[in-house]
Amino acid sequence: MISSFFASVGEKILNFSKIIGGIVYLFYQIILALLPPKFDLDEFWRNLYKMGVKSVPIIILTAFFTGGIMVIQASVFVKKFGATSLVGWGAGYSVFREVGPILLGLMFSGRVGSNNTAELGTMVVTEQIDGLKALAIDPFRYLIVPRVLAMIIMLFLLTIIGNVVAISGAALFGKYIAGVSYAGFWTSFSQNLYLGDLIHGLIKAAIFGFIVSLNSCYFGISVKGGAVGVGKAVNNSVVASALGIVIFDYILTYNIT
Amino acid sequence: MIKQISTNIFATIGDKTINIFVAAKTLFLVTLNTFRGVFHFKSREKGEILKQAYEIGNRSFLFVSVTLSALGMVLVFQVCLQINKITGDQSQVGPEFIKGMIHAFVPILTAMMLATRVGAGIAAEIGSMKVTEQIDALRMSGVDPIDYLIVPRFIASIFMTFILGIYAALLVILAGAFMAHHSFGVNYNVFFVFDKVTWGDLIIGSTKLLVHGSAIPVVSGYCGLTTKVGSEGVGTATTRAVINSSLAVIILDFIISAIGLMTIQ
Amino acid sequence: MSIKFKDVHKSFGSKKVLKGITMQVQKGEILFVIGTSGVGKSVTIKHIIGLLKPTSGSIEVDGEKVENLKEKQFIPIRKKVAMVFQGSSLFDSLSVLANVALPLEKHKIVPANKVHAKAMDLLTEVGMKKYASVFPAEIGDGMKKRVAIARALAMQPDYILFDEPTTGLDPVSARRVDKLILRLAKDRGTGTIVVSHDLPSIFGISDKIAMVYQGKIYFEGSREEYKRSEDPIIQQFIKGTSSGPMETPGF
Repeated sequence: MISSFFASVGEKILNFSKIIGGIVYLFYQIILALLPPKFDLDEFWRNLYKMGVKSVPIIILTAFFTGGIMVIQASVFVKKFGATSLVGWGAGYSVFREVGPILLGLMFSGRVGSNNTAELGTMVVTEQIDGLKALAIDPFRYLIVPRVLAMIIMLFLLTIIGNVVAISGAALFGKYIAGVSYAGFWTSFSQNLYLGDLIHGLIKAAIFGFIVSLNSCYFGISVKGGAVGVGKAVNNSVVASALGIVIFDYILTYNIT
Repeated sequence: MIKQISTNIFATIGDKTINIFVAAKTLFLVTLNTFRGVFHFKSREKGEILKQAYEIGNRSFLFVSVTLSALGMVLVFQVCLQINKITGDQSQVGPEFIKGMIHAFVPILTAMMLATRVGAGIAAEIGSMKVTEQIDALRMSGVDPIDYLIVPRFIASIFMTFILGIYAALLVILAGAFMAHHSFGVNYNVFFVFDKVTWGDLIIGSTKLLVHGSAIPVVSGYCGLTTKVGSEGVGTATTRAVINSSLAVIILDFIISAIGLMTIQ
Repeated sequence: MSIKFKDVHKSFGSKKVLKGITMQVQKGEILFVIGTSGVGKSVTIKHIIGLLKPTSGSIEVDGEKVENLKEKQFIPIRKKVAMVFQGSSLFDSLSVLANVALPLEKHKIVPANKVHAKAMDLLTEVGMKKYASVFPAEIGDGMKKRVAIARALAMQPDYILFDEPTTGLDPVSARRVDKLILRLAKDRGTGTIVVSHDLPSIFGISDKIAMVYQGKIYFEGSREEYKRSEDPIIQQFIKGTSSGPMETPGF
């Protein structure tokens, strides 16, 4: 019994290292393909458009309600201490630095990341990757690098949009739930928040974009076993991205101020 | 040209609206049938619930531990950092943090993590069964897929989300205390003050956990059952499950928070 | 000008699939690589364009050894040797026309303003001109195959490899694909390798036959020689009987 427990732990660790190894190797290959930058521009623009258009509605929805949730949390303080002047600052600070990048990153991973894994995985299963190779087109420069770049840029841009929507949502809910006027909200917000707070969050967003793209591409191209394999790959990719986002959020928070 | 564009726009909006209505109706029916399924649940199928509970717990335990403790530490760090700038008095951090964790952050973050892990898993499992025609085979044998597949996961998920939520809360508080002590020199006995936690907080937090726990399997199961045939079907279904469960969690969390604010707090 | 296999072995882990394949095809010839399911026919031809690497042995394309080439070095080979996959492997996100135009654009085979016209020409050649703006998911398997052939032709290859082109098609569509393959081979003088276990195709359009059995080439010769052979295993394959000396590990 005990030996089989250790065996399964050992197996999990080996699997885990294999995945990490694969992702690191992919990272290395992507960096190589970027010096000098040689990748398919058409595919880059196409993916940028597709990922942006697909995600905007969901990002807006998420950001709006996130702003609302932040305000509700802040409202507890407002009720107790009458601290209406804190609401703008509180909402802005948490959205820009933490909650914005993390929740938007998770939603992006769920929407774009998993979609990407599903697409790449399906291409592997239906021999389209071999098809590209047979046409002497490098699948790396044609498929993977454009998507990685598009995802980083997209999450960055979407986080900016998301931040705006979240703050607007927060202001709206601030007025109707916490009784904070728009003017009061804005004063509190603009007086206490610095550009540095926004940048802190945006750097995170770009890095989360990179993490989501690495994971989704890795699990997409290493799919085995048909439609069922694709489903498993999407599952793994989303989980890996969530882990990556949280862990890097910890590392980044500590190191950028 | 304008006529063509506007016809196209209306056609697309109309088409999408119809799709949304059909989807909403199906989801509503699935939800209804799941609840109904709970009530005529046969006790000999208890084994399936336990199996699903074990799956959920086993799969998510490590994941939730890592993510929640990391997030807890990050939040404490951010808060202490700001307090340092403003008042320098860190004694309030502990009790407020604990309160906030219980009624706000732990429920939603745990649920988001579970929506990712468990939601994707349920959709992938049920979706795979759909594309390999096993769902049809179930119907042929006179078994209702909702009773057989979704209801056990539903019951298991409600329990496990609640339990994992409590576990996560404890973990987060410990991790937060560690971070406060380690980086800002806050004493443990100053941090671990539970005075500010009210019954209201506990009720709101628990309600959120239970509601999120019930939403995730229903939404993911629905996505699994409506998987389209083809090699990309399962992947698409898993994608939808993660998004839709996450979105459901966020919206439900907002609603419960708002209700909580207006009634109990 | 030929493609030559010299004693090629291929194992996947501990599983030995190819145990010494030696065969060749000349430019202008149609060679059918035949055998039962799972015997390693597709595995064999994938070596030519480097989708697989042999465990030992050598493959030569027009005199150049390809078994040790790196991925980048295969680019000139892949321009010379085109492959039509069993599942057609058309790109789902691109229209039929865009699928065919892709190699034309990326390899600048014709100037940018002529790409559209050239792609339409190729589609006309395979009889798919009407479906240019349609997407792969919307057309049937036989049609997908024809588009895949058009796409392969875009590279103006010297050799074309077909992996089970008629498997899964109804008899009428299958004969149409056969006719297309024959016409292309004769018009363009390409060397053609067709992997198949479809007897009407095999006896319809082949010049030479190479039969793979138990990991080796059991027979290499002309179509007539194959038909006339009295070997029991060959006879069992031709007659398609279930009982006989032939072992079918794929079943």
